[in-house]
Amino acid sequence: MLLAGCRPPTASDQAPLVIAAYGSIDSVDPAQATTVIALQLISALGDPLYAIDGQGAIQPKLARALPKLSDDGLTATIPLRQGVLFHDGTPFDADAMAFSLRRFLAIGKLSYVVGDRISAVRVTGPYELQLDLRRPFSPLAKLLSFASLTPISPTAYANYEAGFRPNAFVGTGPYELRLQSPQLQRLEPFAQYWGEAPRNDGIALVGMSTSTSLYGAISSGNVDVLLSTSLEPEQQSALHQQANQGELREGAGPALGIGYITLLTDRPPLDNQTLRRALAFSLDRELLTKRVTDKLRPPLRGLVPPKLPGALAAWPRADASRARQLLQQEGYCSGEVLPLQLTYRSNVPTDRLLALSWQEWLRSRLGDCVRLDLTGMESTTAYRQLGDGAFQMILLDWMGDYPDADNYLTPLLGCTQSEGNRCLEGDSASGGSFWTAPGLEEKLRLSNERRGQARLDLLDAVQREAANGVPYLPMWQTRPRAWARNSITAPQFDGSGRLNFASLSRRSLP
Amino acid sequence: MSNSSSLVRYLGSRLLLAPVMLWLIASLVFLLLRVAPGDPVDALLGNRASAAARDQLRAQLGLDQSLWDQYREFLGALLQGDLGTSLRNSTPVGEIVRDALPASLELGITALVVALVVGLAVGFSGVARPEGKLDLSGRLYGIGTYALPVFWAAMVMQLIFAVGLGWFPVGGRFPPTALPPQGTGFYLLDGILQANPQVIWGTLQHLALPAITLGLLLSGIFERALRLNLRRALRSDYVEAARSRGISERRVVLRHALPNALLPVLTITGITVASLIGGALLIELIFSWPGIAYRLQEAIAQRDYPLVQGIVVVIAALVVMVNLAVDVVVALLDPRLKF
Repeated sequence: MLLAGCRPPTASDQAPLVIAAYGSIDSVDPAQATTVIALQLISALGDPLYAIDGQGAIQPKLARALPKLSDDGLTATIPLRQGVLFHDGTPFDADAMAFSLRRFLAIGKLSYVVGDRISAVRVTGPYELQLDLRRPFSPLAKLLSFASLTPISPTAYANYEAGFRPNAFVGTGPYELRLQSPQLQRLEPFAQYWGEAPRNDGIALVGMSTSTSLYGAISSGNVDVLLSTSLEPEQQSALHQQANQGELREGAGPALGIGYITLLTDRPPLDNQTLRRALAFSLDRELLTKRVTDKLRPPLRGLVPPKLPGALAAWPRADASRARQLLQQEGYCSGEVLPLQLTYRSNVPTDRLLALSWQEWLRSRLGDCVRLDLTGMESTTAYRQLGDGAFQMILLDWMGDYPDADNYLTPLLGCTQSEGNRCLEGDSASGGSFWTAPGLEEKLRLSNERRGQARLDLLDAVQREAANGVPYLPMWQTRPRAWARNSITAPQFDGSGRLNFASLSRRSLP
Repeated sequence: MSNSSSLVRYLGSRLLLAPVMLWLIASLVFLLLRVAPGDPVDALLGNRASAAARDQLRAQLGLDQSLWDQYREFLGALLQGDLGTSLRNSTPVGEIVRDALPASLELGITALVVALVVGLAVGFSGVARPEGKLDLSGRLYGIGTYALPVFWAAMVMQLIFAVGLGWFPVGGRFPPTALPPQGTGFYLLDGILQANPQVIWGTLQHLALPAITLGLLLSGIFERALRLNLRRALRSDYVEAARSRGISERRVVLRHALPNALLPVLTITGITVASLIGGALLIELIFSWPGIAYRLQEAIAQRDYPLVQGIVVVIAALVVMVNLAVDVVVALLDPRLKF
């Protein structure tokens, strides 16, 4: 009885659902928030102009229809939904949307995502907005699904037009923010929400600081739902198995994150394309993903997640004999061993496991040709040195801000100034590969302008060229996962990889 | 010169030195943070964003200024009591500290109480029979708890008592399904002041495991200090004199030896405040306790320069003040001390 008295109380039917995730949320201002979990929260509190559904289709949310582009593709007209209210009771209209977009463009910490595309925002009617684009940009609707572009009430943010409001959020979404502290956010259903009401009585989003705490919290029933962000691979695997055995309910979002190895292509030895191709043949993704993540991260042979239109598996499968042949061609394997340095982020558990596993694979299959030395480095320290060309090979990952091929290819391959195959300035240089190909930037640009099959052909060409040049070795895809207790409905994700809080509810058990 | 005027002079010099020490600490932290590779923009944007976008954000955060200008600005604001503004969320550092400090103090004070009660009880238990089983067990306990790595011990406690047995919540400071009390920021105190049993119970549930863990780990210091000092006191002349006058052993220990043995323990308590902060960092991290140490760890990872500087200055000031207060109390209690 005494021990029973010590037990944490279980939630009643009316209590909010408790969702646990890794880390703190410092700011809920869409112009200031940058972390995955903060953007996840903003997605629950606000509505974007467009949303990507579970099948990957674009759905108008606060817009009434898809953007209507002018003949030259430089102006987009967006009709807006009427009858929508902000949490402070003020109406949503074109002025409010323009206020939010302009504010984000002016002070947004991630404004570079949009600022390169949109040059001006104009109100052309009470419920009609016009966007001036710097260049024609066909995936505009997907860009406008970016969580940071969620509109906020101009009345509530009147004093924060040029500054941030980190501890409050006044948007149009299905939930109102009742309490904001770094480790706890309380969301309550917004009674005047224009869309479908949430199926629960509220959400308590709890931030925890270690993977063990998160795992322990769902295992011991302290929380109702657990989000996978930063959960160690063994624990994800254990939860996945528990879900398979019916002990938990699992939901997975689209695989929008990619893991890859960046190769430094502008200096020896990896300025040698044949050696880079040999490395491409020496990456046994199926085996490595099985060993490191228990297959929770599917192998990836392209730079664009396979679920997105335009994705191409252009990188070769592992072939040790082909790798050996190419290495021999360059004078290795006959007493000469190619020493390579791979840096991994020491604070990312999967990186270290992957680096060790690949090192062992190379030692056992190509030990007389290649020697892989490993170095661990804290991620922020590593990011600082990427643009300096400090790493011969480094394990990194990328999660697009919006689900479109452009948001993967441009950040990895974009190059504004080049010399032959060497990128001097641009994303490829700041990302540490320094690789480009003559005409590649133009193809990238055109791929953003064209639509339909013409666009897909260009994306195809860009990826084939990249696979041939091998500035990167795509490794695996990451997909967000969530686990719920059996008394809760299965977690569902939207097409942008955000957990749909509103769809969660307590199940009526027999 | 009388002892009281010497004490005043000593305290005066300590008070005068305190700002110098804080300035040195603040300057060192300022410099070390900037020498460390990676800045807030790298932490914020990771491997995304172009060099131009990074430079723009650096300018927005004021990181494009020269190191000297940044230092001058930081020091100027510090002299006016302004700890700066967090680069992550533009909140004044003073406000963040104000919100997080009560959580740490609540945990720290409770842990200190646990450490004192357990440590002194274990230390005292072996007095009756030195080198007996109880005394040896106490010594083993003292060495064990002193030597155990905080991180490991805390995780084991969490796994056993929170995950395995489910007696306590895994982490956090208050039940997430309830709204935390408004008031002093000390939830237990707020619960008592508001006479709200739910707040008291909710707070105790969350406070118990981290406070007991930290308290037990610190208790070894007190156990060892009391045992050694009590032994020494029991062998001293005045105790022998008391015994020879026929005073009972119980009275000799409790009235004559114990008060003298407790004085060094008081000094150790002051010193322990620094260890408490170090231990609290790991405890707060493992138990997701939203205190100042947890915020410091996050701020370091995020390279939030003003927040790290501000928290370190506040912690340093706290340590200085507590040590000073302990010195005063010891001086008042022990007339033998000369300054």
